[in-house]
Amino acid sequence: MSRINDVGGMEGFGPLQREADEPAFHADWEAHVFALNRALVGRGVYNLDEFRDAIERMNVDEYLAASYYERWLHAITTLLAEKGVLTDQELAGLDVAGG
Amino acid sequence: MWPVAERRGSVPFAPGDQVWTSRTDPPHHTRLPRYARGATGTVVELQGSHPLPDDRARGLRAEPEPVYAVRFAARDLFGEGDHTVTVDLWHSYLRASPAAGAGTEEQEAR
Repeated sequence: MSRINDVGGMEGFGPLQREADEPAFHADWEAHVFALNRALVGRGVYNLDEFRDAIERMNVDEYLAASYYERWLHAITTLLAEKGVLTDQELAGLDVAGG
Repeated sequence: MWPVAERRGSVPFAPGDQVWTSRTDPPHHTRLPRYARGATGTVVELQGSHPLPDDRARGLRAEPEPVYAVRFAARDLFGEGDHTVTVDLWHSYLRASPAAGAGTEEQEAR
């Protein structure tokens, strides 16, 4: 089954929104998410293909509603839970879990 | 990607080779986008060797294999357009193209 990320050639998303002098990050938390992912891949907790896969496994409605780095955070959370790095108790304490 | 049994032992492609992409819609991560499936294209150049993302995403052992820049006529992918579309594709996604006529029939039959 093709996943929601595979939209090449699909119409109806409207024009691309281009931002003048777009910053690398729009908020500090985005930079933290970026750094966290680099550290986890660098340490071999998961690889980039597992990371992309975790983004693609998001529920369609959540995927479409999420920003770029919200998808990253979702994937990181998913993988840390699946790899046993985060316990259920720790996950319960995160307000990002599942979304 | 093509079934493992059909991938085994296949020889690398060279620039200019006509290739045919898998039509399989896999239940896992893949780098062969839907719009480029079941299409005939031309190998432009080798882009190095890399493990298959489909396997790596599932925690499977993956040896490096050739990755090629493959060029398609936009008309063959989208039914219109005079431009070309070039996609980086792993060897496992490709087969030597059947005779040109047969390939065209396959695409028109979709």
